[in-house]
Amino acid sequence: MTERMYPGIGPDERTTFAAYSAFDIPEDLRELHGRYDVVATAKRVRNFRYAEEWMMMMMGGWIATIPEVPVKTGLGKVIWETAVAADEFGKRLPELRCGRRAVDSGEPSNNAFADFIQSLAGPETPNLTVEKLAGLFDVFIPHLIEIYELHMRETDQICDAPTIEILEDIVRKKRRHVAWGQEVLDRLCETDGLRERRRTRADTLREELLKSGGVTGTLDTRRESLN
Amino acid sequence: MKRFIEHEELARDSRFIRGNNAQATVLASLPDDVDAVVKAIDPMAQLIEEGVRGTAAEPLFEAYGPAFIITVLNEPLDPEAPAAGIRLLFRMHGIFVGELQALEGAARSLWDFPDAPWEFKMNMARQCWDEGRHVQIFEKLLIHLGGEVGMFPENTFLFECACSDDPAMRVAGVNRGLEGLACDVFRDMIRYAQKTGDTVMEQAVDYVLADEITHVRFGSEWVKEFTKDNPDYLERTQNFRREVDKQFNFGGARSDRPDSAIQIAIEDRLEAGFDMDEINEISSLSSAGPKKETLRQAAAILKELHDARKSNQNKEVTQ
Repeated sequence: MTERMYPGIGPDERTTFAAYSAFDIPEDLRELHGRYDVVATAKRVRNFRYAEEWMMMMMGGWIATIPEVPVKTGLGKVIWETAVAADEFGKRLPELRCGRRAVDSGEPSNNAFADFIQSLAGPETPNLTVEKLAGLFDVFIPHLIEIYELHMRETDQICDAPTIEILEDIVRKKRRHVAWGQEVLDRLCETDGLRERRRTRADTLREELLKSGGVTGTLDTRRESLN
Repeated sequence: MKRFIEHEELARDSRFIRGNNAQATVLASLPDDVDAVVKAIDPMAQLIEEGVRGTAAEPLFEAYGPAFIITVLNEPLDPEAPAAGIRLLFRMHGIFVGELQALEGAARSLWDFPDAPWEFKMNMARQCWDEGRHVQIFEKLLIHLGGEVGMFPENTFLFECACSDDPAMRVAGVNRGLEGLACDVFRDMIRYAQKTGDTVMEQAVDYVLADEITHVRFGSEWVKEFTKDNPDYLERTQNFRREVDKQFNFGGARSDRPDSAIQIAIEDRLEAGFDMDEINEISSLSSAGPKKETLRQAAAILKELHDARKSNQNKEVTQ
């Protein structure tokens, strides 16, 4: 009998290829298991998109009212990378059965989170750079990193791999944003008074964010603190 | 945070000094008449002097009087010309603050127009990064040439003119008016750098020019998109852009005349989505302003008036 290259319809018409590669490729041992189904992941990605889009917009609003030139220029890049993150989440939505028009439809997890975003965007005048940056770089972006990493750990590693890929890239950049923002804040807050303003602003926003349940609205509100 | 801010609200650190935007408005409306130019500029002498006091522009005011605002702006940059170094720094500082205002204009578009299409926001976000880099680049070039931030007053009329509350007019003003002006100025700066053999400046400005063409293209495309199926809206938007371009001609400093300080960068503008009719229109807007000879004669009279005032002041002091 000649070696079969292609399987036929009967049990004796199998090919002779080994079921596993002769090249000793390590087997993928990950199991098909994840905390979020398609609908849940789609909802979370919508929440992520909402957060990124609003964060980008508020930083855009702030640039003109921040007097420190290096902060203005530094935020320029953070804005772009935040927009790219929002865009990636938007592109993922149609892949999660949200329809083709879902690309730009982020949504808040709940009204309390939408209110939190408005509180975050609240500081306006040029003397409030510390409050603007503390809200983002001490509270909100670290929270997003935590939730994105949680999603990467808990979601189905194979089925939801495209979301994981997106999040990996975003988290890498977010860590850089936090390092930059916190260094700027460390330098700006050179007196006890300024350091106290930074702490107060961060504490107030953490409390509000915690009460809202965070970006996905699912954070355990019994937690004593975020991050 | 409120939507839309005034140019007076642009935040600056303690190095900056704010100039008076009235000068730019007067320059934009100068007629081709020596007496009229003198009558328009001379009454502003005190205002101009106050604006430059304590800055690197003070010696220019001392030398030329209020005419320095037309002399400095309207003469082409020439490395061999008197005061070439300080005039180069004056222009470089002007570009630096222009980039700062372009960054602020693009960034405000993200906040001011929350319902704009997502692709528009992506373009504006990209522009924020680019303009942020441009601010860094021109700050470094300023230092490379021996200058520093805040050495001249900052005029915020670019933001004032270009930042409309209407999205189509905003992109027409910022992306086509302001960024189009940047294309003209940067092409001129590249020529200057080639003339002086400054390869650092030549390469950096060439990269920036490439970005600016992209930003003008954003503007060209979004004006079309925002005004599609609405010819009346398009016409109002184009009128707004014409007004902005008229302001940005600086009384003829930017024109297609062979001896103009800043030539219109026709090839770059075509690549960015301007058509020849629009480019010709910018040329004709500038030709409506004073001719070079008119400005030179007016500058000479203004200098005489300035010298006479100084002489009288000196006499009063000695008496």
